[in-house]
This record gives sequence, C-alpha cells and structure tokens, in this order.
Amino acid sequence: MKLPFITSPRLQDRIVVFFVALLMVVQLASFYFIRYAIEQAAQSTLREELRVGARVFRRLLEQNSQQLVEATSVLTYDFGFREAIATRDRPTILSALRNHAARIKASGMAVIGMDGNFVADTLAESNSGKPYPYPDLVERARVLGRTSGIRVIDGKPFQVVVVPVLAPLPIAWVSMSFVIDDKAAKDLQRLTTSEVTFVRDEGGRAELLATTLPPARRASLLAAAGSIIAMGRDGMTVRLRDEEYEVLATPLEDTGGVRLFAILQRSVAEGLAPYLALQAVLLFLASVSVAVTLTGGIRIARRITRPVERLAAAAREVAKGNYELSGVPGGDDEIGQLAQAFDGMVKGLTERDNMRDALGKVASSEVVMQFMKGQIELGGEEREVSVMFADIRNFTALCEELTPQQSLLMLNEFLTAISEIVETHGGVVDKYMGDGAMAIFGAPVTRPDDTQRAVDCALEIRRRIEGLGPALAARGLPHPDIGIGLNTSTVIAGNIGSPSRLNYTVLGDGVNLASRLEGLTKRYHVPIVVGTLTREKVEGIIFRELDKVRVRGKTVPERIFEPLGHAFEVSPGELSRLARWNDGLEDFRARRWPEARATFESLADERKYVRLCAIYLGYLRDLMARPPGGDWDAAFTLYEK
Amino acid sequence: MKLGLLLLALPCLASLHGFAANLEVTIKDAKGAAVEDAVVWAMPKPGPAPARKQGAAVGQKDKTFIPFVTVVQTGTAVQFPNQDPIRHHVYSFSPAKVFEIKLYAGTPAAPIVFDKPGEVVLGCNIHDHMLAYIYVVDTPYFAKTGKEGRARLENLPGGDYELLMWHFAQAAPAAAQAVRLRGDESTPAGFVVTLAPVPPRPPAQ
Repeated sequence: MKLPFITSPRLQDRIVVFFVALLMVVQLASFYFIRYAIEQAAQSTLREELRVGARVFRRLLEQNSQQLVEATSVLTYDFGFREAIATRDRPTILSALRNHAARIKASGMAVIGMDGNFVADTLAESNSGKPYPYPDLVERARVLGRTSGIRVIDGKPFQVVVVPVLAPLPIAWVSMSFVIDDKAAKDLQRLTTSEVTFVRDEGGRAELLATTLPPARRASLLAAAGSIIAMGRDGMTVRLRDEEYEVLATPLEDTGGVRLFAILQRSVAEGLAPYLALQAVLLFLASVSVAVTLTGGIRIARRITRPVERLAAAAREVAKGNYELSGVPGGDDEIGQLAQAFDGMVKGLTERDNMRDALGKVASSEVVMQFMKGQIELGGEEREVSVMFADIRNFTALCEELTPQQSLLMLNEFLTAISEIVETHGGVVDKYMGDGAMAIFGAPVTRPDDTQRAVDCALEIRRRIEGLGPALAARGLPHPDIGIGLNTSTVIAGNIGSPSRLNYTVLGDGVNLASRLEGLTKRYHVPIVVGTLTREKVEGIIFRELDKVRVRGKTVPERIFEPLGHAFEVSPGELSRLARWNDGLEDFRARRWPEARATFESLADERKYVRLCAIYLGYLRDLMARPPGGDWDAAFTLYEK
Repeated sequence: MKLGLLLLALPCLASLHGFAANLEVTIKDAKGAAVEDAVVWAMPKPGPAPARKQGAAVGQKDKTFIPFVTVVQTGTAVQFPNQDPIRHHVYSFSPAKVFEIKLYAGTPAAPIVFDKPGEVVLGCNIHDHMLAYIYVVDTPYFAKTGKEGRARLENLPGGDYELLMWHFAQAAPAAAQAVRLRGDESTPAGFVVTLAPVPPRPPAQ
C-alpha cells in the first residue's frame, strides 16, 4: 500500500504555499507597478512644481524690480535730491547719489542727463560725460515713465532701474543697480523651493553668474547649461555629477546676443523622499497581508484537509470492515457533501456486505466469492468432484412430538452443523433438499485432497450427529440417524439457470450415484456409503466393503464401502471382525457359499454386522435354492430410485 | 507823467506805421487737428519791443494749476494765489526761473518776477501730479491758442515782425516766421507743429 502523506507534500501545505506564493507574486508585482507609477508621478509632480516655481520666480523678480523701481522713484522725488540735481554741481550730485544709494542698499546709482550721458556715477566717477551704456533702458523709461532690466556688469548680474527725475517734468534720469548675487539667489531659492542659478549665454558660451548649488555640482551644471537653455524651457531631467535633477530654464533678458537665464533645479531624490515613506507603508501592508494570508490559508486549508483526513481514516476503517463510523465530518459545504456521499457509500457497502452474508447463507461462500469477483459464467466444465448427500433419515420420527416451528428449528440446527462441518473441510453446500443437504468437494475450487477431505467430512458429520444422541434422548427423542452417500466422479460443474438467476451446481451420473448411495445407507443400516473411486483415492481410512451394486443403466457393478474410521481409531477387535467379514465376502463371491454362510452366521450377532449378515444370508438362501449361471458377478442390482 | 506822454505819443506812432494791426494765428498739429495752449508771440524786427507790464497769476484750485499754460512778458510779476484749503509748495527748477514758494496758503505777499525769457515748468513739491507752464517772452505781443487752435495778436503796430510759437509738447522748436503788418489789417498766419507723445504723469492723488 502506498503511503501518500510521506512521499508527497501534504495538501494543506500545497494550498498554503500556493496561495501565499500567489499573493506574494501579486504583491511584488503591484509593489513594483506602484513604485513605477509613483516615480512617474513624482517626476511629473516635480516638473510641475518646477514650472510653478518658475512662474513664482518670474513673479518674484518682477515684484522685486517693481519694488526697486518704486523705491527709486520715491528717492528721486526727494526735493533736496531734485534741488541737488538742479544745481548741476557734480560733487554735490555724486554725494547725494551715494547717500540715496545707501538708503535703499543699492549697489550703485547714477544720474544721466537728458542727453543720455552720465552726469555722475557712484560706480565710476570717471564715467561723467560718458554715454550711459544702456540707452535702451532710458528709451523705455521715456515711454513707460520708468523701467528696469537685468544687466551684467563686470560678470555680475544687476537689476538696473531707470526712473526720471521729475521737476515735475523729467530733468534727468536716475539709474540704480542692485546686484543679484548668491545671497539674492538664496532668497529666491527659499521662496521657490528650488535651487536657483543665473546663467549668461553669449553666443553659446555659458557662464554661471550666481547660484545656490553647492560648488561641487556647479561645473556639471555649467557643462549642461547649453542644452538646458536650448531644451529645458519646459523642464527636463539632467544628471549633475551623481544626482538626478529636474531642471527648467526661464529666460530673463535678451539684449543683443547676450541672453540671461535663470535655471531652477530640484533634486529628484529629494522630490521622491515623501514617496519613500509611502513605499515603506506599502511594504508593511504587503507583509501584513502575506502574514494574514498565511495564517488564514493554514486555517482554511485545515478546514479542508482535517475532514479529508478524517474521511481517509474512516475509509481505512471501512476497508477493515468496520462500518460503524464515528467522526465523519458534517456541514453543508463541499466537504460535508463528500462526507454525506461517503456515508451513503458506506451504507451501500453495508447493504452489499449484508447481501453477501445473505448470499452466503443461501449459497456457499466460495461460490459467492467467485460470483462477486465476476468469475462465474453460464456454462459448465468437467471436473472430478466428490459429491456428498447427507440426510437425517429418521427426522420425521424426531419431529413427531414437535410443533412445526420447533421442527424447523431442529432441522436448521442439524443443517447448520452439517454446513459448518462441510465448510471446515473445504466443501461447498450446494443445496438443501428437505431434511438433507448436498455438498460438493472439488468445485468450484479444486484441491488435491478433495476426496480425502470429503471422507473426513463424512466421518465428522457421523460423529457429530451421533454426539447429539444423548441430548435428544434426554428430551425423550430417538437417536438421530444420519445417512451419507459419497461418490467421487467426473461431473459437469457450472452455472445452471438464466443470467439473472443462476445456480451453481454439478450434474452427472456420479451425482445420481451419490444420491443413491445415500439411499443405500438405509438398506445396509450404515451411516455412510461411498463409491469405489472414493475408496481408492483415500488413505489412512479403514473401509468395509458393503456390496457390489449394479446401478440401472450401467453394466459394470459398483463396489460400495463404508468408512469405519481412521486407522488409528479402529479397534483390533473391529479389525479382526472386518477380516472375517472380508473372508466371508471372498468366499461368497467365489461361490463357496457354505463357507461363506458359516462366516456370516458367526458374525451375525456382532454389532454393526447384524444387518449385513442378514442381507448376505438372504442372498445365500436364494443362490443356494436357485444357483445362478456362470455369468454371476455377485452384484446386487439396484432397482429403486 | 511819463505814462501821460506815452499816451499822447501813441496816436502819432500808430499813424506812422499804420495803426492797430491784428495777427490771426492758427496752429495745427501734423494731423491737422487744432492745437490748444500753444504760445505765439511776435518780436518786432528793428529793436526791443516796448515793455507793457501786466500782472499775471497762476492759481491753484483742486490741486491743479490754473491756467495750465501762462505766457508773460519778461519782467512780469506773477502771483500764485492758493484757493485750495490745503497748502502748496510751488517750485521751478527751470533755468529760466528757479524758485520755490514753500508751503503756503492764500496769496503770497511777494509775487515772483520772471525776468528771463524761456520755459518755466511749475510743480508742487507735495503734489507730484501738479504741472503748469509759464512761458516768458521778450515782447508784449503774445497770445495763447484756445480750443480751436487760434490765437489773436491784437493792436500790433504796423511793421516787420518775427512770429514765433511754442508748445509744451512740441517735438522740436518751430521755425520763426517773418511777417509784415500793415495798420488796420488783420493778417492770418499759421504753424504746423509736431507734437511728441506726452510721457505718463503721476496720477492725481
């Protein structure tokens, strides 16, 4: 038998492993998809934030310049300042400029005459009389009233404000410049939450003017500045040294080939940082769900496999023949249905078994076994078998004082005893006939000692029935008289009848002879009569030859015998009487009738020989009165049945 | 006494040159539209024009100088009466006349005498939007165009004059025109002036 739970993994484990693995695969896949989506979202969020940052940045710059313009305008309205300008006294004007520049922390301040030349400049006193370098700003101020722009002076970006000195019409222009340095960039960085870099691009040659980037990354930004300016107006991703940055270039000024840009930068890693927490949460949830699935899976799998194991145990019990089952699981689920089906199957098996038992009662268990195996077919085969007919000869006398129920009970007692003995000797009870039974040895199963066992069986039945005598005598009943005919011959054995109702039996002359031998027990007053072949096939048994009978339809007479018992249980006295009987029989058959008569007469009073001697003395009287012809074969012709 | 002599001499002068000529000057811009507040004046050719001292006033009402453009002859004393309930601080940084009247109410005791010809831009130190012009000319023959862009110089003695004009928004000074006036005649004259766009001004507060 295979041991399924040792060689292969248990169903429970397989279920759990499958579902946990499935969940982990799904979790892993979704985790990676989510991470991918998050990264995409973070990147686009970052870019969007950068765009917003750029708008904020431009607005800040505008506001900043606006404020500077306003502040400068306020300064120029100062009456004293206007008076100083009106004096056209350069030292006075320069001094006033320095004073006012200091008031609003401007980097430089200059007065430009209506002719466009410097009147005075705090950045370079020598500029007086020289043309102002940004006439475009002055022109714009003339039209707009005031203006500002970003200009690069000595490699540094400046917010340059140009406003008129009104008295109340313009009498001069004031140019005020505010440096945009790393500190200013830092202020903008704080407000836009982006790194800020000011870049000047002159004919493709980029130059960093001010930046909030750490010095280590400046060189790589400068290297990338050209492409950022060219392609990063709406945001792009660049790698600055070892870190990815989302960058956006926003143009500030374009003055004849010199272009100014502000580049905003945001670290991708920093942008992703908030999502790392989300990832941790996702991982935590994934592990929790795996753990829950593991425990839940084990529980559910157990709910499946436990009943299955119980069913398996129940099935093993059923295999052992125990149909009284306990612990078959219930429930309405599939397992419950399986259990119910199993229960139904067990009931069916029980019924079938009961039927087999019942069959065993009406037919031999050997035949039933073969029948159950489907080996029995309609038709027959030739077999050498020993057929036994056993009969309680004086049953009617036994039943005289009994009710029909009691009679049947007693008959069944006898038949049960006979059947038991037949079965213990390997025979098959073929049928019950009135107060007797027919048994077969050698069919349907052939064994080499079939005949021996048949004779043993007959002796055993004889002994058992005789053993019942005292008990019956105590009840005032006569001694039971058993008659057994046993003959060994070749017969037809097989199923006789129709496919729906078969009867396994044996047919043949030998069977009829056995029945007749049983009838002869009455004539010879012996319990058992066996045929010649039976006698020849048996060893260790002492037989007494009874007669030679001529069965109707047969020319060769059959010698018939009575088994007296096993050699060891026959007494010496018995044996000497048997020897005398054999002598007498020999004389009888050799026509030495007077000698034979003397022998029979000497034995006639011996127990067990009374009837035989009476029969033979009767023969002798007839023979001696009318001596037969030369063809006398000493056989007795059996006429009745 | 001097004034009486002058008055007696006047008829003789008038007859000599043909008395009381008028000059009708029309000023248009490049598009042909009438130009208001343009100043026209005639300089007599032979010599200095006679002084004809007249007072003038540039008042302030509702934080506005009234009139917007004033033309005076050299040496005219101009009053700056303040009709507002608040004070004003009138000033000029123009080379023709630099002055200031610090925060005052009513009419200052001393008028300001404009003794050099040229453009004087008036402002108020505490009201940036206030603006007015005083144009100082060396002749008593001047006038200012009205809404129709016409100015009439009246009672000019006959003779040769140089006719000039000025407008506060002119892109460039107009060329002087020579005119000969005969007594009892009305002579038409005209200028076409190119005006520059007026730069934005601080709004009134």
